Amino acid sequence: MPRRLQRRAARREAVFAWTLVAPVILWLGATLVYPLVSSLTLSVENVRIIGSAGRFVGLDNYLSILSASAFWLALARSVVWVVGNAAIQTVLAMVSALILEQTFPGVRVARTWIVVTWIVPTIVIVIVWRWLLSTSGGMINPLLIALGLISQPVGFFSSATSAMTSLMLINSWRWFPFIAVMLLAGLQRIPNDLYEAAAIDGASRFARFRRITLPLLQPTLFVLTVIGTLLSFNVFDIVWLLTGGGPADATTTLPILIYRTAFKGYRLSEAAAMSVVATVLLMGLALLAVRTLAPGEEDR
Amino acid sequence: MRRSPGVNLALAIGLAFLAIIALLPFWWVISSSIKATNEIVSTTPTMVPHSFTLEHFAKLLTSSDYPRFLLNSLAVSAASMAVTVVLAVLSGYAFFRLRFAGRDFLYRAILLAYAFPAIVVLVPLYGMMSAVRLIDNLFALVVINVTFAVPFAIWMMRAFLAAVPLEIEEAARLDGASRLTILRRIIVPLIAPGIASVGIFAFISSWTEYLFASVLIQSDANKTIPVGLAGIIGQYQVDWGLMLAGATITTLPVVVLFFFIGRYFVAGLTAGAIK
Amino acid sequence: MLRRTLLTAGAVALALFAAGAAQADPVQIRLWHMEQTPQRVARVQQLIDEFNKANPDVVVKQEPQNWGEVYAKAPAAIAAGNAPDILFAIPDFTTVIKGLGALDSVKDFTDKLDKEHHFIPATLRPYAYDGGVWAVPLYNMAISTWYRKSVFAKAGLTPPQTWSEWKHDAEVLSKAGLYGAGLPANKHLYTDQTVYAVLVNDGAAELFNDDGSLRFNNPKTVEAYSFYKDLYKSSAPDATNWTWGEAEACFDSGKCGTVLQFTVISTYNAQGGDPADLGVVAVPHADGLKESNTISYSNAAMILAKDPAKRQAAEKFISFILEPTNYGRFLNMEPGLFLPVTEDGAKAASFWNDPLAVKYKAQIETMIANSEHGMLFGFTKDKVMSSIGAISAQNVIAETLQRIVTGGASPADAVAAGQKEMEAAAK
Repeated sequence: MPRRLQRRAARREAVFAWTLVAPVILWLGATLVYPLVSSLTLSVENVRIIGSAGRFVGLDNYLSILSASAFWLALARSVVWVVGNAAIQTVLAMVSALILEQTFPGVRVARTWIVVTWIVPTIVIVIVWRWLLSTSGGMINPLLIALGLISQPVGFFSSATSAMTSLMLINSWRWFPFIAVMLLAGLQRIPNDLYEAAAIDGASRFARFRRITLPLLQPTLFVLTVIGTLLSFNVFDIVWLLTGGGPADATTTLPILIYRTAFKGYRLSEAAAMSVVATVLLMGLALLAVRTLAPGEEDR
Repeated sequence: MRRSPGVNLALAIGLAFLAIIALLPFWWVISSSIKATNEIVSTTPTMVPHSFTLEHFAKLLTSSDYPRFLLNSLAVSAASMAVTVVLAVLSGYAFFRLRFAGRDFLYRAILLAYAFPAIVVLVPLYGMMSAVRLIDNLFALVVINVTFAVPFAIWMMRAFLAAVPLEIEEAARLDGASRLTILRRIIVPLIAPGIASVGIFAFISSWTEYLFASVLIQSDANKTIPVGLAGIIGQYQVDWGLMLAGATITTLPVVVLFFFIGRYFVAGLTAGAIK
Repeated sequence: MLRRTLLTAGAVALALFAAGAAQADPVQIRLWHMEQTPQRVARVQQLIDEFNKANPDVVVKQEPQNWGEVYAKAPAAIAAGNAPDILFAIPDFTTVIKGLGALDSVKDFTDKLDKEHHFIPATLRPYAYDGGVWAVPLYNMAISTWYRKSVFAKAGLTPPQTWSEWKHDAEVLSKAGLYGAGLPANKHLYTDQTVYAVLVNDGAAELFNDDGSLRFNNPKTVEAYSFYKDLYKSSAPDATNWTWGEAEACFDSGKCGTVLQFTVISTYNAQGGDPADLGVVAVPHADGLKESNTISYSNAAMILAKDPAKRQAAEKFISFILEPTNYGRFLNMEPGLFLPVTEDGAKAASFWNDPLAVKYKAQIETMIANSEHGMLFGFTKDKVMSSIGAISAQNVIAETLQRIVTGGASPADAVAAGQKEMEAAAK
């Protein structure tokens, strides 16, 4: 095709493409970019209670939050939270996906009930576990006592470590099925002949997993990890409703601190500054990771 | 490939383990929702109910707006699902099948939507919705739900589109079909299972959203289930029976729904495996 | 001729229109309250329906809210211009709303009501400061100590009046396999309340000095926290997660020997408890003191509407509620929890005629008597510090306890840290 016609065709393609993505761009621009800008403005003022007026104070808020230990402690807890969740969820999801990929009677049904913890609202999760872990009728303490693992009922949210661990387990319990299903899809896209060829060559199951499954699953696993990390970091509901950030701040991750500062401490601008810092950190992290994943490894 | 008995055993144990951790808690909740209150809070919990009562459900349904919450949730989730699917299909096609300047940058930028803590969005968005008089309006929730579902939905589209051979499109172009026609008549039918999966994902995401629903909706008549349930639970007293009934009645519809359409979710995701 | 006819017609039409408009729309009043439990919502609706029927020029509508969200939602709504017309409140919440400039003094209104119904002074005090009255008291809640008479009799105990008695009772009950004192240690309002209930019984009721500086860190406070820490040993292991409900459930199931609560009456009754067995006494006081005090929450209604017609309608509705014929039914939306704030309310037949009030008359009388010695942190003087809102919202009192109980800090250190937190919140 002559160059001129080629360029014209390319332009038409681009125009069509832009018409298709324009709605999404506008939508996300209005609902995400505008609030980010708004938060930036808020963070350089000194607004206390939401709705009250504030005046420009430059970088005061940033200086005060970054020099207070509360912010860094919360950030550290968020890191622990993210890493813990990632570890537990990845293991659970991988194991589930591997199991559900096999053929056996009932596997179709299993692939459906596995997601039950994902499809119920967080409030149900909170009700379920608040009751199960309590000493008023909860099943877990008696179960553990019957199994001989403990001798007295314990308070799962009574100490710093047990509270954080319990929360991580509950949150992972909630999310792993979703990741499992995504991984399952990824697993099923791996052609069977690859496995068969390897089996003929005498490779063990484990070797097949290591040499075929993992590498081919890697792109999916990678994106899921990145998005999963971002989502994990921003988890608010479950922590807030189960421990409120306690006991004694042991589970006060950054989102909890931000919410508390804004709506309980009545320091909206400080909270805005914290959330801007959090957003920047997360975006930086994600960009770093996503850069190695080019969407151009693609069909055209 | 035949499996050794050892592997079969491991499989069975693994499956049993998954079944226990995923389902046992719900069994406890559902079976306890029909117990009398003193059995629910008793010192020796029971695996199988000794008593039977429907009073908690009666209390839940008659003295609260629960049916209304259910309808609101259904409406919001369905609408969010529809919009998300349309946006994801359109932009997914553009990102993964077309060329244009800034494509890669834009795609990555969209995925970064998840880097935003909800609080960054919450307060300004409240102001925005207020300015356009959308407070206490279910449509405001649709706006938010779509925002949080669309980026991942677009990513999901990628695998589905990748499974459609380019040759089909090229053949259609040579036949003189416009891009829009190709998208509508060829691509969409081919990725229909994938679209179903995206739809289900968007529906579930909307169904479970709490934070924005609690702030943007003010009156009982417009509450969605998560917010309504949180309110019913009560502040000064803990009515375990009522709570467990609420949890049960919130879990069951979506489980039943999933029972019918669940297979499409996984099937849609794996339909790309036509290699 | 034609012109004059047209003009007249126009004028008549305009007049009719204006008159019609004036009569057509009844005044709309939106009510926000935080009593979300279904039966409370139903009772409020009952009263609203009666009021709307009797006052066709006003239409009241309720929009129940959640305590956890309303501290954020109400200011947001005010800022955005969709504030409710009436907003129920507790004293510290009022300071937040007042700080936004959303309140006008209702002193004239409360003076009028006082003449008619005679407010119990302790219920009006938290809302009267800075030269005005900022909300109308509607219902009171006060904490008492609850126990089962049969359990105490079996263990050979008498209801505790002093701290040493309480400690002794808790220990005996714990030996018998119960949680002798079901005390919470959650970073939550309920724990603020129970800790304060102990503080006021040790002469540590004042958070602020007269000049507004904080005096949380003082020997009496430290002593009180030490005592709570000691007593907490007899509590349940998951009490770091307790809100009002868990403590009540513990008591109802018989697992807790004593609890500090506003009320356990309705759940106790719903689970088949025997009225004759339910014992209630004032929160025990430190050994050196003569009398018991308690924490009490005077709940009130703030009028946010600025439009005079709306304010008038709102006042009408509030007056309607406080009428003795209606007031009892209002209070009994949760029988045994809400106590009257007016003298004639305390005598009203509508209050005492409720089936639960009949059954638990003795207990409710004790609760009312206890409430007369009630106070609330931050509202014990004539001057109210606006920082109490943030101090309350951040549960500093409860947090200080958690530092001791889960963090292992010494009471002295924890209280000192608590003082710092309060000072930071006050800035």
